[in-house]
Amino acid sequence: MNELLKCVDLHKSFGRVDVVRGVNLSLQTGSFSSIMGRSGSGKTTLLHLLSALEAPTSGSISFEGREIGSLNEDQLAMWRREHIGLVFQAFHLIPTLSALENVAFPLYPVRVSAEERSERARARLEQVGLGHRLEHRPSRLSGGEQQRVAIARALINHPTLILADEPTGNLDKKSGEDILDIFGRLNREEGVAVIVVTHDSEVAAVAQHSFTMVDGTLEDGNV
Amino acid sequence: MNISYLGAELFHRPRRSLAALLSMTIGVALLLSLQAYSNGYRLAARAPLAEIGSDIAAQRQGKVPQAFEGILFPHSTAPIHSDEISSIRRIPGVEDVGESVFFWDFEKNSFLVVLGLDPSSKTGPARLASAVLQGRFLRTGDHDVAVADATYARSNNLAVGSTVSIAGGLFKIVGFVDTSRIGQVANANLYIMVDDARAMANAAKNVMAVHDFRPSDANIIFIKANQAKVESVAKAVGSVLGSQALISSANSFSEVIGQAYGLVDRFSWLVGLAGFLVAVVGLVRSISSALRERRRDIGLMRAVGWSRGNVASQLTSEAISLAAAGAIAGLGLAVLVSRALSAMRVSIPIPWELSPTPHFLPGGAVPMAVTIFLPARIELLPAALSIGLSVLCGLVVGLWVSQRATHIRPAEVLRSE
Repeated sequence: MNELLKCVDLHKSFGRVDVVRGVNLSLQTGSFSSIMGRSGSGKTTLLHLLSALEAPTSGSISFEGREIGSLNEDQLAMWRREHIGLVFQAFHLIPTLSALENVAFPLYPVRVSAEERSERARARLEQVGLGHRLEHRPSRLSGGEQQRVAIARALINHPTLILADEPTGNLDKKSGEDILDIFGRLNREEGVAVIVVTHDSEVAAVAQHSFTMVDGTLEDGNV
Repeated sequence: MNISYLGAELFHRPRRSLAALLSMTIGVALLLSLQAYSNGYRLAARAPLAEIGSDIAAQRQGKVPQAFEGILFPHSTAPIHSDEISSIRRIPGVEDVGESVFFWDFEKNSFLVVLGLDPSSKTGPARLASAVLQGRFLRTGDHDVAVADATYARSNNLAVGSTVSIAGGLFKIVGFVDTSRIGQVANANLYIMVDDARAMANAAKNVMAVHDFRPSDANIIFIKANQAKVESVAKAVGSVLGSQALISSANSFSEVIGQAYGLVDRFSWLVGLAGFLVAVVGLVRSISSALRERRRDIGLMRAVGWSRGNVASQLTSEAISLAAAGAIAGLGLAVLVSRALSAMRVSIPIPWELSPTPHFLPGGAVPMAVTIFLPARIELLPAALSIGLSVLCGLVVGLWVSQRATHIRPAEVLRSE
């Protein structure tokens, strides 16, 4: 397996508060990892650094051997669109759009025909078991269904890495298991690398590798 | 910009969209309706003269007749000499001049208002040719024939073919006209050939006693002018005719319409623009409240790969769409308002100098007026300007909102609660 993501001595401070302190991390293509930690341990901030939603105070992140710190904001947005699928605890679906449109949302600024966009979104929704909910808006979907829509959205651009922040945090046990099952299948069948941030040990148990975030530092950072 | 997302945002957030839309609709409708109202009065003020194909009526005050017997000129219609008429024809902006001779004929038991006109002229009372009710109108080459005002003919039992006496001269009635159809400015009891009128005035002792009236003179002229130069032509005509000139143009009618019109005319743009500004403030409030509502959506756009330009283009398109839709709805509303205004009848008073009847005769002091439907209509230029201005405001508001959106940090707004 090739090295997909590498962080070296990553720091992030907000004012005087050091939230991430000297994280070193190396992830392989097609791996499935979890990052556990208590609330406030810095795990979500680390996920934001890995997805370039936040810039590190110091340290470097490289993706497929390419340093991403040198990219400007628009280049980083494009990089996310091409390589990263993001899944959030609160789903963050656009309330005015249908499930199909939400999944296609990352493709809106891309020069793709409306037909192709719809077709790709439909295929992803069918993949997560929501082929029958294409036209439903988020308010008419259950929490588990909304998270599945969010996962389909994360997959629309064939990412090589999915970063999920507490993806089962707002779901009941059954829905949470379904979501983890989807991540497992994506990882096994499509070779998509997954990093799940969670405080739930049962979720972490699904991962091949588990890290723990304690006060901004990552324990067992090498895979 | 994605049209389906744009449509979804506008359609599925109806309160916000409607607030912005309504505010622009009312602003644009107010601006255009006031313009239509003001323009309506401006056009109405032109109507009395426009109905006889002219923009300016020029007369000159003269001496009061010594005796009210036979033919005489009202003191507002002193002679205008042919050389002065030639000078007026040469004024830049003058397109045509219609010459008339207007006089009163006081007989023992009757009183007549007579207007001499040139039927070949397209400017002035020759327009009455379109108001013939019976018989025919005057023709070039006619002599000693008259056309009677239908109301006058009815009350005096005149028939086409009968004769009427003007200062002892007999004139054959060849037709009746409905003077009310073309306004009150060229109002007379009888219309005769201008050369006949000139000859009669030249022979009238009460005219010649106080006036230097020559065979080619007129005493009232109607001027057709280039629309952009009407007021400058009116001023120049006044200079030619001197201090006793009585110049009637749309402005003269506007002045007598009253204060209300003056206020509307003066402040319509100001009030309209103020209303439009309030509408733009409404748009800004609505769009900026939308921005607060959609911080997470915008953070999500950035997170899933939208560039700042993509976000700006989307937000700007939404603002422009709302502004443009509001402007178009406002235009539609203004058209309805202008139609309602067009059903209003307005009375345009005739300035005293154009009133045909002496004030000392029964009914002569009654103010005359032309009553017409207010020609309120939306003009193309203000309509295009207000839509253009609305789109521009939408663009500016959209760019401003987009600028604010760039300060939204995705990591902050997407953090789980």
